[in-house]
Amino acid sequence: MPPAIIHKRMAMKIINLHSLCLAAAAAWLFWNPAAKADPADASDPQVDMQIDDQPGYQPSAEEEQLAGPFERQIVFFRTTEAPGTIVVHTADRYLYLVQPNNRAIRYGIGVGRDGFQWAGIRKIIQKQEWPDWRPPPEMIQRQPYLPRFMAGGPGNPMGARALYIGGTVYRIHGTNQPQTIGHAVSSGCFRLVNADVTDLYDRVPVGTKIVVKQAADL
Amino acid sequence: MRFFQKGITSAAVFGALTLLTSFGAQASTLDTVKQRGSLICGVSNGITGFSISDEKGAWSGFDVDFCRAVASAIFGDATKVQFVPVKADERFAALKENKFDLLSRNSTWSFSNEVEQGLLFAGVTYYDGQGFLVSKKRKVTSALELDGSKICVKNGTNSEANVADYFKSNRMKFEPIRFETMKEIIDAYQANKCDVISSDVSQLYAERLGLTKPNENAILADVISKEPLGPAVRQGDDQWLNLVKWVNYAMLNAEELGITKSNVAQAKQSQKPAVRRLIGAEGDIGKQLGLSPDWALNIIKNVGNYGETLEKNVGGKSKLGIARGLNQLWTMGGIQYAPPLR
Repeated sequence: MPPAIIHKRMAMKIINLHSLCLAAAAAWLFWNPAAKADPADASDPQVDMQIDDQPGYQPSAEEEQLAGPFERQIVFFRTTEAPGTIVVHTADRYLYLVQPNNRAIRYGIGVGRDGFQWAGIRKIIQKQEWPDWRPPPEMIQRQPYLPRFMAGGPGNPMGARALYIGGTVYRIHGTNQPQTIGHAVSSGCFRLVNADVTDLYDRVPVGTKIVVKQAADL
Repeated sequence: MRFFQKGITSAAVFGALTLLTSFGAQASTLDTVKQRGSLICGVSNGITGFSISDEKGAWSGFDVDFCRAVASAIFGDATKVQFVPVKADERFAALKENKFDLLSRNSTWSFSNEVEQGLLFAGVTYYDGQGFLVSKKRKVTSALELDGSKICVKNGTNSEANVADYFKSNRMKFEPIRFETMKEIIDAYQANKCDVISSDVSQLYAERLGLTKPNENAILADVISKEPLGPAVRQGDDQWLNLVKWVNYAMLNAEELGITKSNVAQAKQSQKPAVRRLIGAEGDIGKQLGLSPDWALNIIKNVGNYGETLEKNVGGKSKLGIARGLNQLWTMGGIQYAPPLR
């Protein structure tokens, strides 16, 4: 069995234990000897923002108000996907919620290492308000000051809402670090600012189809 | 029978002559450019994001970068280009008078600009169109919610007629407020003399930067007219038309294939035939354009792929922040679709 698959499975197991997306990156790092436990690996072109999680940090309203292209907006979007479908373009850092008449609501996202590892079609299987956070041991090893458990609420790195993507360890979640929107970040899957993830949460039911597209690779 | 044979012979001779003459004409622009050692590009001066020169005379913008892409394809050097600023009403005549080799100047590909002017458009590098700018406070998400609005438009343009058509076909009413200049329109809008500004979307984004609070104003996704912008060339030089056309398509295909300025150096190791063909690692499509095998590689290396160039100049990575909209690739929600390089 190729080592990559072993790593993936072990990572999956850990995720099941800790049941959180933020853990996935750290788990992968832990089990992948090449990656070591240092996420500040600048050689990875997909991770352009090295920032540790900041549990407890509560951004101001100004910080959470995105401006420019990453602000939530209605855009032209031609697709064969039905209205109500979520389409994620990781390379552009956008999440689209398809609307009728060639429109979509576009949200700016931050994409974690895990968000870049997968593309496909799945469904949203579960929704959670203010999800709890349990940093996995690997993450605690790296950042020993992290709490072992943090109940959901303001300041929680998982943010205000989470949408679980079926058949994967991935999820769409909020963040307490709005400055990471638009970037490739070291942990997590697809993160939105809390106002946006809440807006999306209210618009999509369990069972919503999600299509994740990666940029073509050489 | 004899007459028939003679007819065939003379037709053949005539055909061969035509072929020769047209072949001679075909090579001329590229030969001229190669002999001169640089490309001369007709551009606008003063359109933020598209074509503008700073106080030091350094040019930047999306239209300017297209010229640099053509220069890169020919010379492998993006700096071998001279920019000639030209006014809107003089641009087509200047192209026909050989003042430049290529017009890359916010020009709409329309029947009159192509057929009546006797020119050829090499493609659509940017799909523009008329749209609406409105205060976010109004919480409008579609132009269909603008019934009864006072709309500022520029006098003497198609803008008002386009708005009138759109409102009429959607059974809505509006009150046009006409001004001679964009400056007057901005002032009127800020003084609440009109609720909405209607103009080409690219211009609305540029003008929004000049508002007191740009972020409190939105540009709606609705586009009510067709303004396909692209480079134009003279008629009668098919090779040159093809070259300009395929520079654009190479940039689009590069984006679709994931070839970027930063990874183009590794592209030679790619196993994908389409990637290898584009960068010249396999076959030699450049030869048929009169170019070296690495023509497309040089475009990507020096200028970037289509999306990179667009984002840098007018998109999310620029101060304009124009949503890609129609100009997104066809695989990603837009209508930019380039024929394949094979």
